[in-house]
Amino acid sequence: MDFEDDEAPPLLVDVEGQGDAEGGADRTRVPITIVTGYLGAGKTTLLNYILNEQHGKKIAVILNAADIEKTLTVNTGGEQVQEWLEVGNGCICCSVKDQGVNAIESLMEKKGAFDYILLETTGLADPGNLAPLFWVDEGLGSSIYLDGIVTLIDAKNVLKNLDEPAQEALPSEGHEHEHDGHAGPLLTTAHLQISHADVIVINKSDLVSEEELEAVQARVQAINGLAKIHITQHGQVPQLEGFLLDLHAYDNVGTLDVGSRGHSHLDPSISTVTILVPVLAPEQLPHLDAWLRSVLWDSKLPAPSNGAEDEDKDNYSLEIHRVKAKLPLSTGDIKIVQGVRDVFDILDAPQNPSAEPTLNGKIVLIGRFLLNKPFKESFISAVGQT
Amino acid sequence: MASESPAKRKCMGGDCDNDAGTLQCPTCLKLGMKESYFCSQDCFKRNWSTHKAVHKTQSNFLSNLIPPKVISEPDPVTGNYNPFPTFPFTGPLRPVYPLSPWREVPKSIPYPDYWKDGIPASEQTFKGRTKIEILDKKQQEGMRKVCRLAREVLDIVAAAAVPGVTTDYLDEIVHKACVERKSYPSPLNYGQFPKSVCTSPNEVICHGIPDQRVLVDGDILNIDVTLYHEGFHGDLNETYYIGDKAKADPDSVRVVEAARESLNEAIKLVKPGALFRDYGDVIEKYAKAQKCSVIKAYCGHGINSLFHCKPNIPHYAKNKTVGVAKEGMCFTIEPMIALGTHRDKTWPDDWTSVTQDGKRTAQFEHTLLVTEDGVEILTARFPDSPGGPIPMPVAAVETNGANGNGVH
Repeated sequence: MDFEDDEAPPLLVDVEGQGDAEGGADRTRVPITIVTGYLGAGKTTLLNYILNEQHGKKIAVILNAADIEKTLTVNTGGEQVQEWLEVGNGCICCSVKDQGVNAIESLMEKKGAFDYILLETTGLADPGNLAPLFWVDEGLGSSIYLDGIVTLIDAKNVLKNLDEPAQEALPSEGHEHEHDGHAGPLLTTAHLQISHADVIVINKSDLVSEEELEAVQARVQAINGLAKIHITQHGQVPQLEGFLLDLHAYDNVGTLDVGSRGHSHLDPSISTVTILVPVLAPEQLPHLDAWLRSVLWDSKLPAPSNGAEDEDKDNYSLEIHRVKAKLPLSTGDIKIVQGVRDVFDILDAPQNPSAEPTLNGKIVLIGRFLLNKPFKESFISAVGQT
Repeated sequence: MASESPAKRKCMGGDCDNDAGTLQCPTCLKLGMKESYFCSQDCFKRNWSTHKAVHKTQSNFLSNLIPPKVISEPDPVTGNYNPFPTFPFTGPLRPVYPLSPWREVPKSIPYPDYWKDGIPASEQTFKGRTKIEILDKKQQEGMRKVCRLAREVLDIVAAAAVPGVTTDYLDEIVHKACVERKSYPSPLNYGQFPKSVCTSPNEVICHGIPDQRVLVDGDILNIDVTLYHEGFHGDLNETYYIGDKAKADPDSVRVVEAARESLNEAIKLVKPGALFRDYGDVIEKYAKAQKCSVIKAYCGHGINSLFHCKPNIPHYAKNKTVGVAKEGMCFTIEPMIALGTHRDKTWPDDWTSVTQDGKRTAQFEHTLLVTEDGVEILTARFPDSPGGPIPMPVAAVETNGANGNGVH
């Protein structure tokens, strides 16, 4: 079956100086993008477009993450190959890594690395449940990293999807803290797919009028003011880089310019909130961590210390889907915060010598029950004065 | 990792005792096998006809799923054999089959749900995967009891772990000791694990299957015992020196004591409010100071009426694990520490996890209960428990002065 049956042994290769095969830290890591969207939003068309487009990249497409042990399509220069994903048995219990991550890693070990991996979810998937699985701890030295989440929406149907519970309101998984007592406004899978997205592709724009398209755009931006929005027809995108690929949505935060003006009430369920905060001293970082733990782990905004503590506990409960922050320190360093659902990390910002010094830090939160809450007061009171 | 020194590699050539440099078989590399080193092109050429068979086993994707048809010739005297003769083992250790027949647990002892089909269905429910259980006083008493029994069983089997016995013999001891205590040996058929205890010698990180291999003077052996008693699991393990040779080997002592002490350091942190993500920082810091690495693929786990549940407790630094310890939670911490690489590889038996460089690893584990103001080590040692810390052999200081431990 293969060429190595002919007799001559190949020349040995000298691996000295070729990076550290064992170290892992300096291995090149392959980006993975999660692609979500309702059935009919055009995911498959888009992925086929990518698979057939000449881009000179070896892109693996994993169809339907719910069934990850099934197959995977790899595109190498226009040629498509189906592969079986091998899901190791081993210990389901105490293995830290998600099985899907393991399966992809072991495939790459055998077949050589891909340039890129696209993971298509089912139409009903909540990307907030998937993202933490693929946002692998840096300490684990995985050969893949989460590049970002791309959500496709169907310009014609998205408003309807947002307003009526097409399926039983919302997926129950991951929503165990259902804010005892007050159910809050309707939350659909469409909300979840938009709120977690780093890039939103408004597809099928040719099927709606200009006014309708503007309404869609405004609604989407009100939900998620951070995501980059692209408008397309037939799932065709002008270029892949920065669009679907190389998003760096989990290692960089960009400028954090929020699309719509401040907090908008256009969507009753989900909104984006920006908090401007002062430059922090390094000693305040543990307080920042504690504030984030309260907001993300306990779903609770710490009450500002200026009294008013007990007036209404509900005022301080919330549900965060995504958080990003850029926080300049008094030392001149810049910290960034990345978070999806309850998982978060505080990192050093990538070095950018050309950047002008920033006078303010910025925290952007996307989630539920965010309106009319004293975010800034809470934060300042938690981290203390500089 | 930068701190890892380049391993002394042996040439893969079957007839060659030379150390290998940095020359690797290109086909192996392409297939993702990174340990295929040869001393020279000549030697490679000489061994090509046998070496290339390795590529065959690897290039077939399914070779890891379907056991190879070839099995090695059984030893004519013992009838023992290696079930995976073409597998590229990472170190000197080999499986020694056949495994002994299945050991039964009397029907009078309550079984966990996976006893028959191997599937721990109760762990796979949404609740089992997401919720961290807070145990009430009665449940805590149940945990206390099973953990004490588990400690008794570990102590009994540890006393029997001496040069000349097989790991299967140790399995028999564990099995009987469990049954005597009206307990089901939790590993048995958990995810189809075939035996009642995990025995992990030398380069085995964890989940070693007891077989016919005879322990030799100089081995280190981890024994991982879990009992299921009156509805609760109690889980602990320790690594033991087999014979005096092991106690005299500086590397073995270094890795075993690093594992023991890193667990102790981590346990010191446990109290209500302590963050799950912080234990790994302490463990990795300690291991690194001993010039060891932390295995990352396996972590500690919640334990109660379920064998494995939330929370996950990674042992490596800088993890993003969510959550804090609260009074009434039970979980394990069980760092696995290696002399060389932290990277792991699983044998085709789907259980045995070994280091990719074949160097030794050690592990210690306790089941912990978070108390009102700290922690109770439910599986704590008794005053007369076998094993326990030993000092660095004196010879090490003399011959190994270069590593900074010297007292010149």
